[in-house]
Amino acid sequence: MRAMIVKEFRELSRDRRTLAMLIGMPLLLLVIFGYAANFRVPTVTAAAVGPGASRLAATLPSSFFDVTRIEPSGTRADAERLLKDNTVDVAIVTGRQPALALVDGSNLFASQAIVSVLNTFGDKISSQILYNPDLKTSWVMVPAIIGLILTFIGTIVTSIGLVRERETGTLEQLAVMPIRPSTVILGKISPYFLVASLDMVVITGLGMLLFSVPFNGNAFVFALGAALFLFVVLGLGVLISTISQTAGQAIQTAFMFLLPQILLSGMIFPLDAMAAGVRWIGYLLPLTYFTMISQGVMLRGASMASLWLPFLMLAVMAVVVFSGATLRFRRDLAPSRHHRHVAAEADADADAEPHAGPGPAPTTDAGRSG
Amino acid sequence: MTATAVDRPSPGELLRADRAGRRFGDVVAVEDVTMSVGAGEVVGLLGANGAGKTTLIRMLLGLIATSAGEVALLGGPPDRRRRTRLGYVPQGLGLYGDLTVRENLTFSAQAYGAATPRLPEALRASAGRLVAELPLGLQRQLAFACALAHDPVVLVLDEPTSGVDALARAALWDTIHEQAERGVGVLVTTHAMQEAAQCDRLLLMSQARLVAHGSETDIIGSTTAVAVRTDEWARAFAVLTESGQPAMLAGRDVRVADADADRVRQVLSDAGVRAEVVAVPATIEERMRVLAGA
Amino acid sequence: MTYAVRSAVVRFGDTLALDDVTLEVEPGSVVAVVGGDGAGKTTLLRGLVGRIRLEHGEVDAPSAHQIGYLPATAGSWPALTVAQNMDFVGGVYGLSGTTLSARRDELLRRAALLDVVDRPASQLSGGMRRKLGFAMAMLHDPQLLVLDEPSTGVDPVSRIDLWRLVSEAAAAGAAVVMSTTYLDEAERAATLLALDDGRMLASGTRADVLRSFDGVVARTTSPHRRDWAWRRGREFHEYWPGEAAPRDATTLVPDLEDVVIALSLLRRHRHGLAS
Repeated sequence: MRAMIVKEFRELSRDRRTLAMLIGMPLLLLVIFGYAANFRVPTVTAAAVGPGASRLAATLPSSFFDVTRIEPSGTRADAERLLKDNTVDVAIVTGRQPALALVDGSNLFASQAIVSVLNTFGDKISSQILYNPDLKTSWVMVPAIIGLILTFIGTIVTSIGLVRERETGTLEQLAVMPIRPSTVILGKISPYFLVASLDMVVITGLGMLLFSVPFNGNAFVFALGAALFLFVVLGLGVLISTISQTAGQAIQTAFMFLLPQILLSGMIFPLDAMAAGVRWIGYLLPLTYFTMISQGVMLRGASMASLWLPFLMLAVMAVVVFSGATLRFRRDLAPSRHHRHVAAEADADADAEPHAGPGPAPTTDAGRSG
Repeated sequence: MTATAVDRPSPGELLRADRAGRRFGDVVAVEDVTMSVGAGEVVGLLGANGAGKTTLIRMLLGLIATSAGEVALLGGPPDRRRRTRLGYVPQGLGLYGDLTVRENLTFSAQAYGAATPRLPEALRASAGRLVAELPLGLQRQLAFACALAHDPVVLVLDEPTSGVDALARAALWDTIHEQAERGVGVLVTTHAMQEAAQCDRLLLMSQARLVAHGSETDIIGSTTAVAVRTDEWARAFAVLTESGQPAMLAGRDVRVADADADRVRQVLSDAGVRAEVVAVPATIEERMRVLAGA
Repeated sequence: MTYAVRSAVVRFGDTLALDDVTLEVEPGSVVAVVGGDGAGKTTLLRGLVGRIRLEHGEVDAPSAHQIGYLPATAGSWPALTVAQNMDFVGGVYGLSGTTLSARRDELLRRAALLDVVDRPASQLSGGMRRKLGFAMAMLHDPQLLVLDEPSTGVDPVSRIDLWRLVSEAAAAGAAVVMSTTYLDEAERAATLLALDDGRMLASGTRADVLRSFDGVVARTTSPHRRDWAWRRGREFHEYWPGEAAPRDATTLVPDLEDVVIALSLLRRHRHGLAS
């Protein structure tokens, strides 16, 4: 019994990945739940639009409302545009009694906070929630879940598919065959890209059907965002495969990539409510930006122009991650041609060569010196 | 767990199978096998994959039950108490890659309640190294040391020398013979036919049955092969293969197992291939090929 | 056309994996590279097929289209059936249609795998899987066939079948290089190259190697120098390098196993590695 326990501890102490999970994971969870797990949004961005904009802005409690826009000449249409472009969380239209606060319902926790604060104003301001009038959780979750599923396929499934090739030793065979490394990588990844795309269509369709999630925006913008995001996560999958020797290791590593994405991308806990340090981790995660795009397009019908930042971030990540992954993977594949004489290929030449000839001269090690 | 005293049994009784058989559903894995390993004996168990070697070993170790006949370890059923006097090196070696050489040995010894023995000389320099980083030859030596740590009286080795170089193989056989000279009975499976010469006695299994036993000559029996010496081996080979003879290359000669020398001569002269054709004894492998069917 | 790796030096970090190793193979012949785990067999074969860079030395090899390679590990895709494995490889080398199916069926017939064409490779026995790997490496009829331990872990019966396939490939004109840990297998090849710790112990035909062996091997029940002796059954064989054996020694004609052990011992004593 004692021998068994001692042995197990010794083995455990040398398994770095499992150790990382045993020690790193509790620390990570503690930090995340301590600093990030907060549904209460402390401040929101606001705009005042209409003739009495400046006066109204002054009456709003600045501890909660961060008024970033005052447009005295604006109309309700301008206010809606500000919300649609995600410039502000709430836009208050003046010049009518009571003033009308338009709230961005695609930002679930912010809008809940806004509504409760606005209620204290009594009759002076009425409110209307746009894009998610009933503040349904499913409406904001489904677009984010799409991203999560793509992440899952991209990292875990792809890395397992590639690592299996390494585990069984067939990667070695591919390397020697007359196929270009880029063909191998694309050939390995395309099926996952297609399957993930199909999955995305099915999940989006099912989400709309089962939860009546709207699709207000342009499908092309959505597809483009999804494709960029897929490149990032597939690249991550390839990267993970280059640092893993077995499927078990690949799953462990992919899991460590996946967990922070779930918790810190703003999908569950609002980014605005996180402590700054943790929030910046969220800004480094691709899922954060995909969620911005999918929620924006599906719920608010946001335009490509208003989503330039997440698109740019995903594009940069796609280029960086994918080229890194390809380079690392190529290193495993590309044979060196240094010091090689590739013999004449023509079969006729080979046949013309006489088969006879002296065998290699016998040598032994006897004459060698240290 | 402590090693309970088991009376040292009489020779011939360390390991015994008496008309032993085992079925898995409709599949007969071992049928009607009678064999034994005595004290101080090195017995080689040969056979193709699927011939039933592993099932027989697992029955002898008490890891699976017999479905017919009986097996005995140290004169009785192979239970946990008797297994404390047995050393076993499985094909996969059963070592922990994340532990050092010394830690592996300590664990094995402690599991049998024995004091940790001195490391064999060849392993001393590597005592603190992780097993996963060791060359296979040293790993196999360590697996031996672990199996021997509790001073067993029976040793069962499943392909103990597979994959190692000639020198490491020689070192492993040194250990095996030293144990046999101390009175330990050894049952060893091997795929390397040159190792048949290392055993006192051979058992050959084919298709679940024990088909031959005794010396190398006993095993080969009346099976012969035909050696064809010729300057044009490629043509001789092609002609013989064409005629349905199972020819193969042997150095710069061609060899045909289980063939009739006159027929081979005829086939070659019909095709105009000049060759010297001699009947020679078959090898154990060729005998096994014949038993397994063409 | 002789294919070759000449004067190869390969280093992995501080480890000298190959130290001045030369391997040559003629079309229509088989060369066996013999050695244990870590001897450098795989490194040498990988050098020949262009998988690793030599620090020094030269490689003469045909283009990738004319090389068939069976790596030491699987050699086939476990989830694909026997036929699918063959078709994938055929596709990579540009075979298709009836050319592919005819060649595929012929090779599978010779390897006795026709009955299992629809079985996934993962469900084949070890011997069958190596035969499939061999058939895949042979599919495009390469000029150079490189097989890394085709017979390790393969039972003696399948090994005979594999050797027959190798013989057929050589008879058809391919240059075959195979590595093995079995010396009896090396004995069947036209020439052999014995490696130990990245260095050449011996090379040439079996007769060449035995002829150039320096010293005598004696048979004894009590060796004079235990360091220079090894077991053969209940007896010992003892090596007397260069110097004269004692007069009462019973000398014998060494086999390849004896020669390789003796040369390995000699190398270790020279390099002070002897224990």
